[in-house]
Amino acid sequence: MSPQVYEKKTQWQKRMEKIKEIWRLFRETKVGLMGIGILIFFVVMAAASFIPPRIDEMYIPLYGVDQDIFTVTPPSLQHLLGTDSLGRDVFSQLLEGAKWALLIGVTAAVCSVVLSTVVGLVSGYYGGVVDTLLQRTADVVMTLPGFPLIVIVGSLLRGISIWNIVVLISILGWPGASKVIRSQVLSLRERPFIESARVSGASSFRIVFRHIAPNILPLSFLYMTFGVTSAILAEASLSFIGLGDPTTVSWGMMLQWCYRSGFLFQAPFWVLPPGLCITLLALSFYLIGVGTEQIINPRLRKR
Amino acid sequence: MSMWRFIIRRSTEIVIIMFVIATLTFVLFRAMPSDPAGIMLDPMRTPEKVEIQRKLWGLDKSYTEQYFIFMKNLLHGEFGKSYHLGEGKDVYDIIKEKLPPTILLFTSTTIVAFSVGMYMGRLIAWRRGGKLEYGSTVVGMFCFSMPGFWIGLLIIWVFSFRLGLFPLGGMKTADLWMDEASVSIFLKALDILYHLFLPLTVGVIISFPGIMLMMKNVMLETLGEDYITTARAKGLPEKKIRDHHAARNVMLPMVTVFTLSLVGSLGGSMITETIFGWPGLGAEFLRAAMNYDYPVAQGAFIIMGALLLVAILITEILYAFLDPRVRY
Repeated sequence: MSPQVYEKKTQWQKRMEKIKEIWRLFRETKVGLMGIGILIFFVVMAAASFIPPRIDEMYIPLYGVDQDIFTVTPPSLQHLLGTDSLGRDVFSQLLEGAKWALLIGVTAAVCSVVLSTVVGLVSGYYGGVVDTLLQRTADVVMTLPGFPLIVIVGSLLRGISIWNIVVLISILGWPGASKVIRSQVLSLRERPFIESARVSGASSFRIVFRHIAPNILPLSFLYMTFGVTSAILAEASLSFIGLGDPTTVSWGMMLQWCYRSGFLFQAPFWVLPPGLCITLLALSFYLIGVGTEQIINPRLRKR
Repeated sequence: MSMWRFIIRRSTEIVIIMFVIATLTFVLFRAMPSDPAGIMLDPMRTPEKVEIQRKLWGLDKSYTEQYFIFMKNLLHGEFGKSYHLGEGKDVYDIIKEKLPPTILLFTSTTIVAFSVGMYMGRLIAWRRGGKLEYGSTVVGMFCFSMPGFWIGLLIIWVFSFRLGLFPLGGMKTADLWMDEASVSIFLKALDILYHLFLPLTVGVIISFPGIMLMMKNVMLETLGEDYITTARAKGLPEKKIRDHHAARNVMLPMVTVFTLSLVGSLGGSMITETIFGWPGLGAEFLRAAMNYDYPVAQGAFIIMGALLLVAILITEILYAFLDPRVRY
């Protein structure tokens, strides 16, 4: 065994220990654990969304129609949550919605947080004109009426695809986190270990992405979880007002169909589940965020 | 003196952002693939007709020229004419009619949500670890994660449809306002309040938790500061430490949170207005955007952006009066 391999292994072990330590702290927060519990439930739901369409064609979420039913029916054995106004199965739509909500929420949040991390790092480390420019841009984006802006773009494009929504949410969502990350970078920059990296001849690029960035990652993760919550809610609102992607069965879309078809006050089995799912999934990421926050900021922990 | 400098500086920044919003609007509406002249005209249109219409709207001019005309019109309050409402109603009139209800709903929601959020946050940070903290944190997080339109629909369902306690929507009872002169102002105000109650409640439910949870966090961080320990050591009464030493220092970060939450609640209020049939600018904007009524959508968007910026400016100036640290 060469010494290099040995070296690698210890580093790997060190990382495992660190992860275990973080997990121990995370478990103690309880809220975070609860969030993960809810999240697992929805991941299972999303995974199960592939099953109903295989059982019978009428369970295809978007266009599968029960031949005997053409309208809203209350829950039955055949349709666990009843059918919608076109005779489509609400339960399989709900499962399909979980898949899209997770996909949209996580992608939008990851894109947005990558943007805010890079901007925060560059802005905080380089300072000067770059910093001023980036920060002024962040100020402007922050005060833009974001939701109306997405509505306008949607209207001008005459409907908007899921991926366009993701792009718009991430473009509008980065400034808040980037400000926090920037201030953290400002304080890290003055620490001795950065000084020694600079003295030993590391390039600025290496210092930023190799030495500062790892210390920023917990903060980025924190803002990502909060970002997922707001992305899920934003997508639901957009779909609800009718700007969603009509070829995608999302929970907001289900509520919109219900609202449009006028069955709002007659079909609780159709109105309640999608809304509850949006709430719980958004909540789960929020809870994970709160758990993370308590690890990062010990003052928030229980005395 | 420095107060005035602060106001002037912030106002300049706000004007610049307003300029950015207007420019962005111009670029968006011109860069998008839909040609307004093509949408408006009947399906039997001929290329000549489209050309005439384009000329009428000044679409044949160069973009720079169009931009200057656009800016000049904005400054004069000219937003063009609606494509849909009757025979091209003036956008300016629509905005004039729809803005007051929006301002009423938006400001009342903001004030109530912020007061409730601040009060609850302060309370639960102080009584940490108790049942109250646990309960309100859980409820707060749940409300925070709820889509506003969904809780709005449920509230209409329960309180208006099932129980019949409140009207299903709108801002006025038509019968009462039929004959304007005979009804006293007091009764009219009461009628509007009666209609305002449910949309206000929904707005508060979705915006107070964020403020409450943030207030709790900031408060908890402040309670760890040395000056709080000093105040305790001096033997000051708990209430005094909470309200005078801790809560006041918390206000500064909370102003930032507040201005940010304004941005969020403006988007939320559009949907609230729509489902409650509140005759406001937000609902009008959504209607126009969904029906491709671009002049109205454009005008409403710019005015809402301006409303937001004015609200932010007012908050900051009010706060700068109270806290000299803001003025640097």
